[in-house]
Amino acid sequence: MRIADKMTTTQVDRNIQKNRAEMASQQNQAATQKRVNKPSDDPLAATRVLAARTDENSYKQYMQNIVQAKSFIEYSEQALGELNDALVRAKELAIGQASDAGAGEETRRITAEEVGQIFQQSVQIGNRKLGDRYIFSGLQTLTQPFDPSGQYSGDSGDIKIQIHKDAHVGMNLAGSKVFLGEGIAGDGYIRTSPSHPKTVDELKEKRMEDQEIQQLEQEDELNQVQTRSLASTGSTEKISKQDPVTNSRGLNVFQTLKGLEISLRTNDKAGVQDSLDMLDQAISQVVLARAELGSRVTSLNATTDSLQKAVLDNKAMASQMEDTDVFKLVSDINKTESTLKATMETSSKMVQRSLLDFLR
Amino acid sequence: MAKIGTMMDVGKRSLQNSQTALQTVSHNIANKSREGYSRQRVELQTNTPIGEGNLRIGTGAKAGLISRTNNPWLEKQIQKEQTSMGFHDGRTEPLGRVEQVYNEQINKGLNTYMTQFFNSFRELSNNPESLASRTMVREASQQMAEDFKRVNTQLKDIQDDVDGQIISLTDQINKMTKEIAVLNEKILQVEVQGIPANDERDRRDLLLKQLGEKVEISWAEGTNGQVSITAGSTAILVSGSTATDLKAKRTDARDRVEIFYSQDQYGSEFKLTDNFKGGKIGGLLDVRDNIIEDALKHVDELAYNLAKEVNTIHIEGHDRYGKPGVLFFEMPETMKGASEKIAVNKTLIEDVGRIAAGNKPGATGDNTISNMISSLQHRQTMQDGTATFDDFYNSRVGELGTITQRARSTQEAQKSILEQMSSIRESISGVSLDEETTNMIQMQKMYDASARVIRTADEMLETVLSLKRM
Repeated sequence: MRIADKMTTTQVDRNIQKNRAEMASQQNQAATQKRVNKPSDDPLAATRVLAARTDENSYKQYMQNIVQAKSFIEYSEQALGELNDALVRAKELAIGQASDAGAGEETRRITAEEVGQIFQQSVQIGNRKLGDRYIFSGLQTLTQPFDPSGQYSGDSGDIKIQIHKDAHVGMNLAGSKVFLGEGIAGDGYIRTSPSHPKTVDELKEKRMEDQEIQQLEQEDELNQVQTRSLASTGSTEKISKQDPVTNSRGLNVFQTLKGLEISLRTNDKAGVQDSLDMLDQAISQVVLARAELGSRVTSLNATTDSLQKAVLDNKAMASQMEDTDVFKLVSDINKTESTLKATMETSSKMVQRSLLDFLR
Repeated sequence: MAKIGTMMDVGKRSLQNSQTALQTVSHNIANKSREGYSRQRVELQTNTPIGEGNLRIGTGAKAGLISRTNNPWLEKQIQKEQTSMGFHDGRTEPLGRVEQVYNEQINKGLNTYMTQFFNSFRELSNNPESLASRTMVREASQQMAEDFKRVNTQLKDIQDDVDGQIISLTDQINKMTKEIAVLNEKILQVEVQGIPANDERDRRDLLLKQLGEKVEISWAEGTNGQVSITAGSTAILVSGSTATDLKAKRTDARDRVEIFYSQDQYGSEFKLTDNFKGGKIGGLLDVRDNIIEDALKHVDELAYNLAKEVNTIHIEGHDRYGKPGVLFFEMPETMKGASEKIAVNKTLIEDVGRIAAGNKPGATGDNTISNMISSLQHRQTMQDGTATFDDFYNSRVGELGTITQRARSTQEAQKSILEQMSSIRESISGVSLDEETTNMIQMQKMYDASARVIRTADEMLETVLSLKRM
């Protein structure tokens, strides 16, 4: 083959360019520590990294949500614990005053005062706040749920928090459920529906359902039996229909306490004995509510664990996709460098020489 | 005596020949690095001998032609490959920029901002009462809307830039075709005398290659040595010694630069943009009219659907004051241009309390609506319910990455094909200093020898003239 001078120079130029380009790309990888610096470096990896990053951010947000929900739930649980203690104390007092042995009108009047205190304390528990929010007022979080007489002004709504792609958890227990015993299922458990509307259609369906439930509750209330009506309380106590199997029913904690107080004050022994039964039910209502909250915390902890693991897995995956193998890169750079050097050395010899150099 | 005279004559001619050859050598050396130069050779021919009795005495050599060493078929093939090279160059450069619009390896992009948008609603769900989380929603939404605009603007900027390139390329093309037309005429003038117009032809070959790199052309050389060039299948750019201009200008119909051609200044103009499929212009047009238009359509679709879905949910809800929800995004009227027009409703910007987080009026802790909006992220709402917003966007990024990657590797491959062919061309037509030096020595020796012949003849003449004295 005939070699023209321009061939040599072009070839030299091309070879050096090639080595330089490779060097530049490797240098860039070393500087960013990333194998994929733009989508075209590896389109598949770039897409997957994007998805992984979105997931990671969402997971982190879910974890944040969980932390928030957990503190809310634990705070509610703590409040209910106190309520439980208060009710137990009320029951102890009631037991002491349920018979005539060691109790009389005088002791009952004194005890009535203490039960009155317990009542106030329970109302205060019902009005607990976490930050700006009342924890037992359903969705009306900025409205104080209970007035001093125990009248409820919140609603029965559930606040749902997203804890995973398709999972929501109820964060609150509405006071109407725990304290007033409204809308509690037959077995005494408080339930929140696990589903959350996603589309507008589902939202509308939910609204219809809510309306129906409201109607049913109203009818229910009309059909309730009025059991006791004491002139001095000014309020009527209603007891929901009993569950035929478990015999339990939702119960108004405040009215139970008020009833006890009035019975004590009026030295109504039979009334005190009656309220013992009611207090038992109230305690079990609170205990079940606490159990519900406890189980939520457990499931939140489990979700946190799985989210943490998912974040790690995600990071590992993304790193494998986009990060450089530093050891390999360094050895590659060394290789390119020595190739470049060799190219330069041979080039300098090739370009210099021509016949002219030897003709003197 | 006559023979001595002939001898002198032969010597003189030889002197001239070697000078011509040496001049050609120096011409070669001088043009050694010029692109597209083909080395030239003086073709020496034996002079017609003189018959004398039984003898036919040689009368030396004469310079016949100065020809160039060149393979026209190879040149034509290189020209074609150059067109292909131009096409890939034209595509790769703007594609690299399109890719950067979507590059989130280093910078934040739509993917990040969409995630932030949905996460801000999750934060709002955690605390619908707080103004801080509402402000976060506003900020994240505005940032996302801004980023939609950024993608739109950057893509259009690339289109604008391509427009500018097309105008300047058309300019260059017109200059080249004019020069080719002039060369056509010169070649005709020279070659009509039977002399090859080497340098003009070299220049024209080079121009054809450069022209072909910019735009796909078909050309043919007529019997008179003139080339005629057609581009875009119908536009005759050069015919004989006349060149016709292409015009590139912005049209009202589509705010983009289009290419026009008219036979003469009185004839009507034809739009030829769609006919340009090859060369750099072809590559640029492909990116501008297919790839970027596609990308714009996709980002519009994403913006439109996102705004629509969020709005549909948001108007069902109730805000902090118990008022029914308003449109969250100011709704773009059409899908086209949605990414440019998408913006958060001014009412919400002015008062974040108007963001509807809840389902029931007056329920401050109700987060049903914000939960629904955040769960939009994982709902398959795009492409007939088969893809989420993220899927849709990410697959777009992957697609553009693949297109760019393929464009780059094709460009590389094309480059090495072209380099190989140029190398073959140089091997045939290129100047080698070694060779020229050898020739130079040879010719110098010939010059020396010829001079010696003349001197010998002179001495012989002297001898003859001094015969009488002796």
